[in-house]
Amino acid sequence: MRVIVIEDDADAAAFVKGVLSEAGHAVDVCGDGESGLNKARTGEYDALVVDRMLPGMDGLKLLKSYRDAGGRAPALFLSALGEVDHRVEGLQAGGDDYLVKPYAPSELVARVEALGRRATGDIPTTKLSVGGLEMDLLARTVHRDGQKIDLQPREFRLLEFLMRHAGQVVTRTMLLEKVWDYHFDPQTNVIDVHVSRLRGKIDKDFERPLLHTVRGAGYRLEA
Amino acid sequence: MKIGRLPALVRTTTFRLALLHASIFILFSASLLAYLYYETAGHLGRQAEAELNAEFGELSAAYRGGGLDRLKQAVTERREARGKFFYLLQDGSGQKIEGDFDVLPAPAPLGQVVNVEFAYDARTIQGQPSRRSAEGRISRLSEGGVLMVAYDVGDLGEMNRRITEVVWRSAAVGFVLSLIGGVVISRSAAQRAEQLAKTTEGVMGGDLTRRAPVFGSGDEFDRLSEQLNAMLAKLERLVISSRSAGDSIAHDLRSPLTRLRNRLEAGLRDTDKDGPRAALVRSIDDVDSVLDTFNAVLRLSRVQAGATGSFRRTNVTGITDELAELYQPVCEEKRLAFNYAPQGELFVLADRDLIAQAMSNLMDNAVKYTPEGGAIRLDARRSADGDVELVVVDSGPGIPVEDRERAVERFVRLEQSRSQPGSGLGLSLASAVAEAHTGKLVLGDGGGPPTRPGLSVTLRLPAA
Repeated sequence: MRVIVIEDDADAAAFVKGVLSEAGHAVDVCGDGESGLNKARTGEYDALVVDRMLPGMDGLKLLKSYRDAGGRAPALFLSALGEVDHRVEGLQAGGDDYLVKPYAPSELVARVEALGRRATGDIPTTKLSVGGLEMDLLARTVHRDGQKIDLQPREFRLLEFLMRHAGQVVTRTMLLEKVWDYHFDPQTNVIDVHVSRLRGKIDKDFERPLLHTVRGAGYRLEA
Repeated sequence: MKIGRLPALVRTTTFRLALLHASIFILFSASLLAYLYYETAGHLGRQAEAELNAEFGELSAAYRGGGLDRLKQAVTERREARGKFFYLLQDGSGQKIEGDFDVLPAPAPLGQVVNVEFAYDARTIQGQPSRRSAEGRISRLSEGGVLMVAYDVGDLGEMNRRITEVVWRSAAVGFVLSLIGGVVISRSAAQRAEQLAKTTEGVMGGDLTRRAPVFGSGDEFDRLSEQLNAMLAKLERLVISSRSAGDSIAHDLRSPLTRLRNRLEAGLRDTDKDGPRAALVRSIDDVDSVLDTFNAVLRLSRVQAGATGSFRRTNVTGITDELAELYQPVCEEKRLAFNYAPQGELFVLADRDLIAQAMSNLMDNAVKYTPEGGAIRLDARRSADGDVELVVVDSGPGIPVEDRERAVERFVRLEQSRSQPGSGLGLSLASAVAEAHTGKLVLGDGGGPPTRPGLSVTLRLPAA
């Protein structure tokens, strides 16, 4: 993926660039809003990473201008402001995700990669499929190798999210936000327990596991 | 002379109160003394006057009935009766006809009648000469001549003088006494005020343990002192809790930071058993735990600062439904019996995320502190007085009654929980969330056996 990082703090920008480059992405960095907007408009990028507080033009304004001009690349906001209201503002301005500082590098990579996937998968789908695991979004059914798997509604949503991001690392925080709509981290391992239950249902009777734990980062569903 | 500012003494409340006190006292005693005088000396005078009138009336009647002869006869009779009056009857030429005096002791009236006061010589019972005073009335007779009737006021005068003297002396003594009393009374009031001032001064100086004296009289000063003391106690508790919060932050951060430092050093020297990379991975965990603590502090501060903008009418049963679903598997994994039976929809004005976060903290705690095989109950119900109550009950060790208030303070981690992971902000945050919703966090007994009573934590919110 080609990613543009618009961040005025040189250290933070270098960190984001380092992390994303290491994950195999091409990264350009821009130090202020004006030039960042101009660069983004060239349309060369698959994703935008925008700091909310920027000199000259703040992140919200920047993204609004970008969207108004027809820019379609998905955008991730980085911000030290973590209140729900700020999140909502960011999403209303045309952001696709919102990451509160400080964050773990794995979280950043997972989120940016999730953005790229969303951009390419715009066509509404009714069926998801990952290595023999099939999900029918209309009938709300799941089969693996033709065998029906019964899931609770929440397990269904959890699996749907994992399947939509198949091959990518998905963090616990992402699951909490996207599947449960919670913007805080419980102290106990609630998410792990839910994932391991789901694993019990989709992987238990099969030789090859699909749902993997990525140490220190989260989970990955992969064929 | 400048009258711009009164001297310092006059400006003090003490002096003004004393003066007011004295004035009131003087006014009171003056009217009392006036009344006393009127009723004693005044009465005696009026009585004598009335008797004199009666005497004159009778003599006038005799004169009208039988002329000068009758009058003379009457006077003679009266003199022989030795009453309290003296008489002198003179003819037109000023010659004495009958009486106790040879000549008029006072000038004859120019008009018809005159009241007179005069002095005369008399002898005491022992025969000593003495000069005494008398009062009386002289009246002209229609056929010429005068009649004088007088009475001795020696005794009366003396009494009068004494009474007057007593009245004035008491007034003087009263004035001095009232001034002293005023000073004493107002000084005691001023002293109480001074004690209060000293207390606040001490507190401002940093000594939060200072308290205003309470004398148990229940007067205004006692009430003021009691309220001041209650305020100081609250203030002291807050200061101590924020002080100990600072200590606790330092304490909680010191161990991961020390571990981090050691690990980095070990990695640098390549002495870590799993190599430098593993040392770095674990170091990140340590930094994460430090960041978690800071995030928790910031979140708590934000909640305490109050963010009512995102409050909406919310069905909290929806929140507890989700939480039950989120935590049920965790409970099962830890072999804890989990019970959840909500009572229909319960609406409150709330921020969904905050309530969910507070309740999630309570559930986290319950899961953490309840040993395997125990039970956890989540409840959403309406209390008897109409409030909405979200309750988490566990069968863990519970919190002793005396520690419950402290347990919700920032960073307080009771001794037995120090070994558990966590920032020590779970209950504080829940409590702050409750307060942000004008509700309350109530800690109670879990209803278990005395050895393991369990804990019930209730988030009580006003219904919407």
